[in-house]
Amino acid sequence: MLENFVLWLGGELVSAGSSLLDATKRVSVFYLLSALLFAALMMFWRYGSKGVKRLKPYLSWQVWWHPSARTDYQLWLANRLLLAVLIPKTLTQAVWISWLYFYWQEQGFTSLGLHWPTSIVIGLFTLCYFLVDDFSRFLVHWAMHKSPTLWSFHQVHHSAKVLTPFTVFRTHPVEGLLFFLRSMAAQSLVVSVFLVAFPNQVSLWQVFGVLVTTFIFNVLGANLRHSGVALSYGPRIEKWLISPAQHQVHHSVAREHYDRNFGVTLAIWDRLFGSWHKGHDDQVIRYGTGQNIDEMGLLGQWLQPFKDCFARVLCILKKLIPTGQKNAQPSKTAKGVPKWENVST
Amino acid sequence: MKKTVLAALIACSTSAMAAPTYEFDVTLKGYDGDAESSVAYSGQIARHALHNSLKKVVGQGDQAKMEQYLSSQASGLAIIDPASKDGFAIKQSSIDELSKGKDLLSSAYDGIITGWPGNPTGQELLQQLVEQAGNTKNGYDPVNGYDYVQLVSKFAMGAVFYNKAVNHYLEEKLEADQHPNNEAYKDGVPYTGKEHVWDEAFGYFGAPAHGLELTPEEVVQITKQNPDYFAKADANGDGVVDLKSEMAFAHAYYAASVDASAGTDYFHTIMQAFVDGRQLIADADGERLSDAQRTELKGYAATIATAWQQVIAEAAFKYAGSVYADLEKIAVIEEAHGDVSKAFRDYVKHWGELKGFAMALEAAGRDLGNAQAGLDRLIGFSPVLFGGAQVVAQDGQGGFVQANAGSMQEYKLNMIKVQNLLAQSFDLKAKQKDMTGGMSDVLKQINAAGQSAEND
Repeated sequence: MLENFVLWLGGELVSAGSSLLDATKRVSVFYLLSALLFAALMMFWRYGSKGVKRLKPYLSWQVWWHPSARTDYQLWLANRLLLAVLIPKTLTQAVWISWLYFYWQEQGFTSLGLHWPTSIVIGLFTLCYFLVDDFSRFLVHWAMHKSPTLWSFHQVHHSAKVLTPFTVFRTHPVEGLLFFLRSMAAQSLVVSVFLVAFPNQVSLWQVFGVLVTTFIFNVLGANLRHSGVALSYGPRIEKWLISPAQHQVHHSVAREHYDRNFGVTLAIWDRLFGSWHKGHDDQVIRYGTGQNIDEMGLLGQWLQPFKDCFARVLCILKKLIPTGQKNAQPSKTAKGVPKWENVST
Repeated sequence: MKKTVLAALIACSTSAMAAPTYEFDVTLKGYDGDAESSVAYSGQIARHALHNSLKKVVGQGDQAKMEQYLSSQASGLAIIDPASKDGFAIKQSSIDELSKGKDLLSSAYDGIITGWPGNPTGQELLQQLVEQAGNTKNGYDPVNGYDYVQLVSKFAMGAVFYNKAVNHYLEEKLEADQHPNNEAYKDGVPYTGKEHVWDEAFGYFGAPAHGLELTPEEVVQITKQNPDYFAKADANGDGVVDLKSEMAFAHAYYAASVDASAGTDYFHTIMQAFVDGRQLIADADGERLSDAQRTELKGYAATIATAWQQVIAEAAFKYAGSVYADLEKIAVIEEAHGDVSKAFRDYVKHWGELKGFAMALEAAGRDLGNAQAGLDRLIGFSPVLFGGAQVVAQDGQGGFVQANAGSMQEYKLNMIKVQNLLAQSFDLKAKQKDMTGGMSDVLKQINAAGQSAEND
């Protein structure tokens, strides 16, 4: 029993470590270096040799070994182990896609019979796959900020006081589970529809086993989004693509930056939802939520969201059930108060 | 001089081009008999002839005859199939001319088959299927949806041929202490232990000895005894097709059939590995095989076992597609208030082929992982019948118990899942009658990239 557990644990940790060399993972050494190179070229081009100094936060040992960054690493590994148990093994992509594929046909949806060249189908499928994936990420992310309950869990990600590429893993397991389901739902939808519409022609355009758009996104500095290197794409491009500087704005504690830039790759969703905000190379940003959770370690990050949810439920119950005491007030704890509430106080 | 060099060159090039046949000289040390060839697998060919004939007999519904071809080891049995016909003469007409005292049942897999009610062993199941076939008219049971001709034949090929070859001869019999190559297989024979072990596995595959010279289409037509292909079958040109070396049987036929339709290369891959492995043994020249040689030999065995398993899975995949198409046809006919009896008969036939091949995959002691449970559950113990009934168990008297299992149309979804499961679990290439629209390839791409549980 113990032996099996140790073997499983070892396997999971090795597999986590292997992400560092896996071209399908954003934190692979390959993309960590390509982001640095991309940033160096951009900064050199814009500011000459002085510009290279702007890369300092990406290379600083103090950032990478900051207590907040160490919590990132702990959450990365611990969540991985927890999600290995939590993520349902039987609800596989194959089950979802098979069911949807069958369902569409039962509803009378059949092959479009367009006889388009396969390359066109691959192009169209890849584009739709990317758009649905990117929009669904935006939407779930948006909901994470708008719903007080979901925010309780998402605050874990925003409690990072320094940003490193590994901050992408700084999430609560509940959020991990939600994003797993999002990924399943979005992919199943697009794949099943295309399989019915263009049978035997559907394939993703991939580069080194990665979706071509993800590959470009990763090579061109996806890792800079979670870093102290403020890199703007300039006002014109930023209206279409979210730059690292724009995502850093999203992590800012500053009031004017709250609930801005939810997008991952495309900026159009934020423009549609009125949450777009430009970035700037010279922006100075303080990260975090400004609340106690910013200082918490692994256990605190795991438990605080539940405490906040519990406090909210208590609060609602107290409102619903009259206690007979006229001056009964909800607890005034600042902990767990959603960010926007904090803004309005 | 010039002419001599030219002639030598031509000779060299033709010998280099000629595909090797499964013929090997005697290497056994101390052998002083007359035999020149060390190749012998007539017992396996006798079982192929028994199987082909059993399939015919099940279709006739004669219980006593079925038992004769299944398990009697009786002498004097005629070869019902393949039999001589106009333009395609067969050398042998009785089982005894191939080998005496052989049967199918005793060679069948003796492990558990989970895909049939009551978890019988492979042997028990084969016996049971033949007995139940005897209670039906021409092997067809419309009440439970069983086509025993298909069930018996497809399962027997797996439980006997595939099992004995990959689970026995190409597995434990390749170990150092089993039938060593520096000893005769048994007293008086012209072949060594390892030579014969390898030959027996080859015999079960069912390919003609000159299989590498043939295209997959030619192999298919030889099995069908198409007179236009007689010359291709009759390799030695003696005017008759020798079942011992010139006919194609069982999985060799299915491998060639998949290749001929889908452009895959299962037949030649398996055939080449058999020839290469046998050449390795012949090159040992009657000496004991070294560990390195056995390791290499096991490499060929693994190639054979993997491709053979894929051939069976490809066949199951194809029939899952047929079952799906049959169900669609039934729905259309029902809607038009037409006569569904023919479409239902096809459905039962194709289901029998699907089930037979799926259970064949289980019948060789190979670990199928969760694919086994998946196939068992998705295919079920019978097709889903009109009214949504399906066989769910067997009662104490061997009768089948039915229960409601959802609609026939819902069962179509199971066929899509079966195709996906087969394609993914066995890395299938041909995927004939694919009803999934090519889903498994996309799934492979998505799974390789992994699930994303992160956001920004």
